[in-house]
Amino acid sequence: MATERELSDFLQSVEKRAFKRTVYHVRDEESALDIVQDSMMKLAEHYGDKPPAELPMLFQRILSNCTLDWFRRRKTRNALFSNLSDFESASDEGEFDLLETYEATEQSQQVESAEDATRRAQILREIETEIMELPARQREAFLMRYWEDMDVAETAAAMGCSEGSVKTHCSRAVAALSKALKAKGIQL
Amino acid sequence: MTTTDTLLAPAKADQFGRAVAMRLSSGSAELPYEVRERLRAARVRALEARKKPAFAPVVVGRGGSAALALERAWLHRLGSVLPLLALAAGLVLIHTIQTDDRASELAEVDTALLTDDLPPAAYADPGFVQFLKQSGRGE
Repeated sequence: MATERELSDFLQSVEKRAFKRTVYHVRDEESALDIVQDSMMKLAEHYGDKPPAELPMLFQRILSNCTLDWFRRRKTRNALFSNLSDFESASDEGEFDLLETYEATEQSQQVESAEDATRRAQILREIETEIMELPARQREAFLMRYWEDMDVAETAAAMGCSEGSVKTHCSRAVAALSKALKAKGIQL
Repeated sequence: MTTTDTLLAPAKADQFGRAVAMRLSSGSAELPYEVRERLRAARVRALEARKKPAFAPVVVGRGGSAALALERAWLHRLGSVLPLLALAAGLVLIHTIQTDDRASELAEVDTALLTDDLPPAAYADPGFVQFLKQSGRGE
């Protein structure tokens, strides 16, 4: 049974990755923050008494479901208010601007040279752009498998699909990313 | 997106995947202050809403602390049941007192009727009622 401290440590360890992963999916920071907050609340409310070992899997599952719910809600809202949204400007603040994200980052890089920091941020931006370009299931499988460091079985359980599907999604995601980054002259 | 023609060997794919993940981790470690604060606030709210276990875990130490914990659990239960019992007892008491009061009032009326010079049957006589009315008017 997870103590409050264990639950807090767990949430702290996953919150930043969860936020970034959600941003890659929904491409909106505000919505990503809402989704991560909802996921944290659901985990704590419904599974706060579970053993610490079960928390990562439960959280990934909840986060995936909350993200799916967000897409469903958006689809419904768009269907209901499609006429109003036609009049809205396309270049509004809802757009995810990576340059804004890295404004603060670049200021904090005092040790690195400005050139290195810019190059690093640029590579990261390119990687993130390519990740956002991946099909949703490939992106989800890739990020869970490599970024969350889950094995194939855990990823399959969290995604609700077979291990074979996870392997296929990951393999295709790696191939697509590798090809796209190579085309941009980025070596990892 | 046609990618199957460029699939990498599993080991190489894993290596590439981890290299990408490392880059992503370095980026996520440098989130803006506002985002970090909002995530922290979300975490605090989630912890406040945390589901508590139904029973506190019993820590068995020296000197029978398990028995002590069990006793505390019973006291806690008793503490939550006592106000309900007190309420029920109060309601029963009020009902009993009201019933007694009503009985004693009726007994007083009966006593007054029976000890009066006039027989109780007179009150059921229409002629007597008429007599009372007329004598009341006469005064």
